[in-house]
Amino acid sequence: MTPIDDDAPPLDPAESLALIERERANVGRDLSPDPRLMFWPWGIAWLVSFTLFFLRFGPDGRVFVDLPAWLPLATLAFLMISAGITTGVAGSRVSRRVMGPSNRQGAMYGISWSVAYTAFSVLFSQFSDVLPEEQAGLLWAGGMVALTGALYMAGAAVWNDRQMFVLGAWVSVINIVGILLGSGWHSLIVAVAGGGGMIAAGLIGWLRLR
Amino acid sequence: MTDQTDPLSTELDPVIHAQARLRVVSALSVLREDDRITFPQLQDSLKMTAGNLSVHLRKLEDAGYVEVTKTHQGRTPATLVRLTRRGRLAFDDYTAALRALLNP
Repeated sequence: MTPIDDDAPPLDPAESLALIERERANVGRDLSPDPRLMFWPWGIAWLVSFTLFFLRFGPDGRVFVDLPAWLPLATLAFLMISAGITTGVAGSRVSRRVMGPSNRQGAMYGISWSVAYTAFSVLFSQFSDVLPEEQAGLLWAGGMVALTGALYMAGAAVWNDRQMFVLGAWVSVINIVGILLGSGWHSLIVAVAGGGGMIAAGLIGWLRLR
Repeated sequence: MTDQTDPLSTELDPVIHAQARLRVVSALSVLREDDRITFPQLQDSLKMTAGNLSVHLRKLEDAGYVEVTKTHQGRTPATLVRLTRRGRLAFDDYTAALRALLNP
């Protein structure tokens, strides 16, 4: 059989397979949000604000830098909200290019984050006045990091994404280690290993898509 | 006569066996089943002109390989494209045939 019109002549099989792969990679890239925009804002938020937590509320009540006590939590809240907006906008801009089950999945996943964070915030704020500052800080930080790890692992299950699962498991494990070591160490571990892990995930994802 | 000059065309699906349509079908094969891509995005990813892409989509539609639907995204009209089950099957057969030609 001959091609049904006068199009560019077909390539040989190896070239055709290469063309198929190139085109699939191309579209795959166009339809996924930039991993840097999805991970770096969170990585930076954790790195910066948990470093502030560590400096202000160090292990065994040490104060490395006498920052205002409200500054670390305020920084965390501000940077997390900024990160949420950045990833939300980046994700929805890409998801508008496709219609169907997978952007419904994306929307449901995005909503899960907001709802779960809100629930935890409402719950933890009930204890903020009751607990000593150090314990309250650990409750907030440990809870939010646990939630993040769990949502990454759940997201990995939705999209069958191994790299995302590794990130979620990593975040969860370092969180547990940090909680057991106590609040000062928790901040340092989450800043370096958690924030650093997310920045690495964004970089690896971006290099893979290029 | 083309049959002699191009041994590939004797066994490969003639609808897909043209560079432009192979590119279109490859691009659409990335979508998950039942997902539809917007026409402008497909055009942008493939770097084709709207006219050229329309022509090839029509041929693919005639073969039952793609489905083109018109809808609205908010108030703006949108054209959406998806690979049909038949199209996906044809694409899988085509790539399998290419691999078979490479490693007989």
